[in-house]
Amino acid sequence: MEARLARVEQWTKAVMRHKPGTPDEAAFEVGGWSNTALRTLFVDVNVVVKLIRNPAAANFSIQSAGQRRPEEIRYSTSDFRRLRVVACAAGGQVGGGITLDERRCLDIGAINQLDGDLRELAQRARDSRLSGDDNYILRRGAVLEADIAMLAPMGSEPIAMSSAPGPDRFRMNLADGLGTEFRQVAVHWDLARMLLDFIKPRGTDRVAPGGDDMVRDWYRATAAWMQDRQDHDTDHLDHARAIFSTDAIILFLSGSQAEAYAAPEIQSAVRSAVVPSGARFSIGSDREELRRAEGFYRRALAAVPAFPELRLRLGHVLLLLEHHADAARHLRDAIEAEDLPLLRYYGELFLGAAEERLGHADAARQAYNEAAALYPSAQSPHLAMSALARRLGDRPTALREMQTVFDLQHADSLSDDPWWSYHRSQARNADDLLAALWRPFLAEAER
Amino acid sequence: MIVRSAALGALLMSTVMSTQTQSPVFSTRVEVVRVDVLVTDSGRPLLGLKPADFEVLDNGVPQQVEFVSYDQIPLNVVLAFDMSDSVAGDRLDHLRSAGAALLAGLKRNDQAALVTFSHQIALGAALTADLEPLRDALDQLVGSGETSLVDGAYAGITVGESDVGRALLIVFSDGLDTMSWLSPTAVLDTAKRSDVVVYGVSLGKTKAEFLRDLTSFTGGRLFEMDKTSNLSATFVSILEEFRHRYLVSYTPRNVSRDGWHRLDVRIKGKRATIKARPGYLAGPS
Repeated sequence: MEARLARVEQWTKAVMRHKPGTPDEAAFEVGGWSNTALRTLFVDVNVVVKLIRNPAAANFSIQSAGQRRPEEIRYSTSDFRRLRVVACAAGGQVGGGITLDERRCLDIGAINQLDGDLRELAQRARDSRLSGDDNYILRRGAVLEADIAMLAPMGSEPIAMSSAPGPDRFRMNLADGLGTEFRQVAVHWDLARMLLDFIKPRGTDRVAPGGDDMVRDWYRATAAWMQDRQDHDTDHLDHARAIFSTDAIILFLSGSQAEAYAAPEIQSAVRSAVVPSGARFSIGSDREELRRAEGFYRRALAAVPAFPELRLRLGHVLLLLEHHADAARHLRDAIEAEDLPLLRYYGELFLGAAEERLGHADAARQAYNEAAALYPSAQSPHLAMSALARRLGDRPTALREMQTVFDLQHADSLSDDPWWSYHRSQARNADDLLAALWRPFLAEAER
Repeated sequence: MIVRSAALGALLMSTVMSTQTQSPVFSTRVEVVRVDVLVTDSGRPLLGLKPADFEVLDNGVPQQVEFVSYDQIPLNVVLAFDMSDSVAGDRLDHLRSAGAALLAGLKRNDQAALVTFSHQIALGAALTADLEPLRDALDQLVGSGETSLVDGAYAGITVGESDVGRALLIVFSDGLDTMSWLSPTAVLDTAKRSDVVVYGVSLGKTKAEFLRDLTSFTGGRLFEMDKTSNLSATFVSILEEFRHRYLVSYTPRNVSRDGWHRLDVRIKGKRATIKARPGYLAGPS
């Protein structure tokens, strides 16, 4: 237990030292801990955070995914006392003795049990609290954990199911539509999400992460990062939607995640995967995922009707669901409102397919031609025109368009045919979103 | 949590092939129905059959077989190889060797072509009787990127149709489609309109549903393999089997022009097993 408690203290200090957006020594220190250590850290930090929010709390439990009932967390008296001291420091409640919470920390003599680093942490957390933001360790803890997951090399270990309390996280690596490796990975994302669940929006005294801009921006940026890197985590956006149920961006990213899950590369990998006992994919069939995507996109459109990219993606999903007329209508609207060549390309390509399915060969050809004009090095519009011509009995055109495809074969970068990166394109601003997320923390550190 | 391997992103940016390619020469052909037919008895090819031996029913209507060819018309063999990143090492070496073994089995007027598919579709070598460019292209194969099997099969069919010879398309893939623009339905539609006979070689544990349908609709065959060590023998056996097929031609009479035509091919007065495409699609859909 001593090592566990020491790790909690180390973690709080690492949170304080970490420079957001950098794979620094603090990130590598925590990132280097074993999965088992991080699992117990999750449990202990959860207790610390609950103590920050309610210093009088004495009973703690945790319920992991798949568990029927919460599991009670117990500590010896001395260990619990130590956790309370850490909570006093991390909550910035060491010092004045003015508030009830501060008096409780005073009662246990917290200040005398802190080393220099924890005293500094206590001071920073207190300053933040007094400035109206009582979330120092929570916000920065979430940023640290996300940075470890994103920037520091993540260790993975062979699968080892544990009956100890705490979350489990598994990862299947994919390549070329096949699952190549199944490993157990660290619970950094779980820890980050748990911390943000306790956020009190600035100037309020009530835990309400859904009312906090930083929490919203954190979910938007990290979910976009996951999709840009095709590092999917279903729980992440499930959790985001539980907090921000009407946020158009969260719903948009939820839709694009479901759309990616419906794609052959993930469907085939999930179908062929040998899943360890006790683990499961939260991924439905392609039709199920497409219907989920449609639902998310429609909810997002209800919130923000003037969102052409959203309409474009809804059009694509409707195309795959064989609602061709509805798809064509949304795609035409999206193209009309969109200026970005990348999105216009997708719109024209998908519109061509919708028109083709509707039997409008001329309109289909026109849309494919528009797509080809937007990205002259893209193969997909010419493949589409070739197959359309062949279906209509126009073999010379089919052959000519195929020749064009071959002539483009030396264009090989992903940008040459945006179709190849469609399932990442919605997250093309991920790095900008992260930079904006980190900026206030970096600015504060410089002050 | 699902993560695509880091290698994938890097591979997507690398070059699939660098080869000097010839432009294919495309031409159209006469609208007669041609059916490649394998006739066997107890597993052995039945030789020496004449037009009068064949009975062809087009949507149940008997047709006049006008022409039967056996080993007379030069072959156009199109190799469509999966060059995604999973094709590497021994697998790629075996594939090169199998391609070379097949080329070695071609006759003087036969032609061959090489199409590759990763996320990108590439023409390694256009249809040619000069096999040297093909051998060079095989030597330069490099696996990288995703798998556009459906697009690659379509490209192979199109190259096969670009010349009047008998077209055999051999599609090799070690995975499922992950990146095609064209839908399987669209390409199967094309296959039903085509004379090209498709043989598929599918490697690994994945269910090759698209290749099974494609080979079935074109009267070919699907080989499902666990490893590539016997790939050369498989390719050579495909060529041999194809050479033993009759090319039966007729001009459709007393049947509707468009739509799906169910084909029944029989041998009169002889016990035989027939392998041919189950039908063809005519007219615009």
